[in-house]
Amino acid sequence: MEIQTLQTDYAGRRWALFWLALKSSILTVLTLGFYRFWMKTRLRRFYWSAIRPGGVPLEYTGTGVEKLMGFLIAVVFMAFYIGIFNLLLMYVSFSLLNDNFAAYAMSFIGIIPIYFYAQYRARRYILARTRWRGLRFGIDPAAWAYAWRALLHWLGTILTLGILYPRQIFWLEKFRIDRTWFGRERFVQEGGWTTLLPAATHLYIGIGLSILAGVIGWFNPVGFALLGLSVPWLVIGLVHFKVQSFRILTANKRLGGAIRFHAAPRTGRVFGIYLLGNFIASMILWLGLMALVVGIVVFLAMFSQLDVFSEDFDALLDSGDAIVQFGLIGVLALLYFSVFVFWGVLNQVFVTMPLLRHYAETTSIANSHQLVLISQRPRDEFSEAEGFAEALDIGAAI
Amino acid sequence: MSMTDQPPLTPSFADYMDGETARVQRVQLEIIEHADRSVLRITLPDGGVPIDWPLADLRLIPDQADKKAAVLGQAGDNPARVVVSDTDLAARLTAVCPNLKRRHKDPNVLKRLAVLSAGAVASVALIIFVLVPVMADQLALMLPARGEKALGDTTFEQIRQALTENTEYGLPLCDAPDGLVALNKMLDRLNPGTDFPYEINLHVLDHEMVNAFALPGGHIVLFRGLLKDATSPEEVAGVLGHEMGHVDHRDPTRLALRSAGSVGVLGLLLGDFAGGAAVLFLTERLIQAQYSRGAEADSDTYAHALLGQVGLPTAPMGDFFLRLGGDNTDEDTSLLSHLASHPDLKGRAQAAVDADQVGEVYTPVLSVTEWRDLQNICDS
Ligand SMILES: [Zn+2]
Repeated sequence: MEIQTLQTDYAGRRWALFWLALKSSILTVLTLGFYRFWMKTRLRRFYWSAIRPGGVPLEYTGTGVEKLMGFLIAVVFMAFYIGIFNLLLMYVSFSLLNDNFAAYAMSFIGIIPIYFYAQYRARRYILARTRWRGLRFGIDPAAWAYAWRALLHWLGTILTLGILYPRQIFWLEKFRIDRTWFGRERFVQEGGWTTLLPAATHLYIGIGLSILAGVIGWFNPVGFALLGLSVPWLVIGLVHFKVQSFRILTANKRLGGAIRFHAAPRTGRVFGIYLLGNFIASMILWLGLMALVVGIVVFLAMFSQLDVFSEDFDALLDSGDAIVQFGLIGVLALLYFSVFVFWGVLNQVFVTMPLLRHYAETTSIANSHQLVLISQRPRDEFSEAEGFAEALDIGAAI
Repeated sequence: MSMTDQPPLTPSFADYMDGETARVQRVQLEIIEHADRSVLRITLPDGGVPIDWPLADLRLIPDQADKKAAVLGQAGDNPARVVVSDTDLAARLTAVCPNLKRRHKDPNVLKRLAVLSAGAVASVALIIFVLVPVMADQLALMLPARGEKALGDTTFEQIRQALTENTEYGLPLCDAPDGLVALNKMLDRLNPGTDFPYEINLHVLDHEMVNAFALPGGHIVLFRGLLKDATSPEEVAGVLGHEMGHVDHRDPTRLALRSAGSVGVLGLLLGDFAGGAAVLFLTERLIQAQYSRGAEADSDTYAHALLGQVGLPTAPMGDFFLRLGGDNTDEDTSLLSHLASHPDLKGRAQAAVDADQVGEVYTPVLSVTEWRDLQNICDS
């Protein structure tokens, strides 16, 4: 049987994304946040269509309206859950323990299963609205089963100070992937959690050094100086693990009988994109802000009789003049929101997009000739969309 | 079907996905223009029957990253797609397809959205204003005295923190020794063996607000502003009696539990979990303590009975309410004060005067010196 491999190419242009992100961010601010459902939709359409395995773009078919509706449904459920739950917690906490700390702790812990639940539901929605070569993706409904598994795995990871993190990553990925479909063909996650261990070496060294620093620091505060080494090691180790575990997990995925995947993302590249992207974004933001401030000062100096540097100007600012006060508040609010909007937009352009591009371009599909045998799956209506994730503010970027 | 009006274009090629399998087929595209129904003819490589998509039904998939290619679909739910990479053909299609950029409009979507929004708002309101309060009222009656006391202790500390910038110690408690003696004398007079499940814990806070409020577990808080504003100890005694009424009816416990529920929901809507805003809101609710009209009237009645029982007049309490009402122009006192939170201060004042069974002759609750000590309890 002849082996055929599909490379993935990436088609997005920075400027196109910049304008799309900017336009929709401004609309989101102007509509007090309501446009964000459409903003997410449009950005996803862009990103999906940029990723082209074998030259055929992915397509995102979600809509803003269904996201807004899903959000409304989720808010009602959450209001019920949180209202009643907090009330009962407060009651139990005070009647049994005579304290409210337990209530606060529990009301936080009580949200965590919902968080995982929402994560899975959001994934289901996104997969149900993703198509490639005309076929829909999908994932079986199993959000609660996922939520309690995720809870236990996280507990294990925390109790073992991160040692079991690779195990958690593997089993949760396996849980999701084994339920994921492309058309009528199912994905399978093969391999075992120990296959991720080589990728975790530096993570473990970072954890070990940090514990050592804590132990030494307990006896002699000088020991805390070791944190200066161990924390960067931990952070880089974590990024390395994220990138390389993706590579290993991808290599062990199978679609149907024979379709396999290959990924080769590089830790250095990912780290570089984070550093450089954030640096460029913050430089542009700073320069823009400075230009804006200088512009305002020059404008005031040239087109009004006010001498900006005189005491009259200070006096005017201090005066109770309502118009001046409102003007100032308006300018400040505008600045504040502009900074947030621009930061989000620049992050999309200089971090999210290059990352996606790197992952896309280093991923390929082997034995792709088998794809033609796969047929369509029915539409998953799923009226609450990713409302729970929206209500909980999960999944920031896209 | 009439024949074509103009010679067909040279055929171009594109990728076609039928939406039934994951096959990508290289197909031949032609625009065939009829007078009534022009179509995009898709000729499959296997020589099967060509597929005709009416040009009026063609839709461009929006927000595509690759500006050089055009992804075409049909109006409706058909998942079949044509990816056109030939720029000439793409331009030609743009020229002849009238509805390429028309969005899919579901006529019922606005209606459904309106119904859903109204339903969501109504449900959240129902939860905050009906479900949580009803449950809170039930739970408040079941909460053991020790739990109630702990709830009060915690909220009292939160309120002291919220009322000052000094976050280390909170708003100071007034404790000039002579003033405390006078305060306790007043409390003893009003508290002749009343069987509360917990002791009344009376505090004066160093704040200019003309206000007093009760907290769960028997805490009663008077503000310095109220002591200064009162013209006689009997007026303060009236306020104290009123607050003891709230304690007896467990109003503050109900309010605290209600707030705990609705604060969580509010945090959800504002995207602030267990955050500072929630705590601030909670303390503000408790200071304002906007109980229902009925709860206020019940506490007034309680105060009237209590004062009468210990031989004190209730008319001064009425005077005090009237003065609070007159002060309403002063934002500091009127907007934040639990005592002035109900508009019908005149009615309440009249009720206090009517309930007076003692008149002008009584043993004053404090002597002139003790009253002065109490008013100066914060000067130490
Ligand atoms: Zn009251």
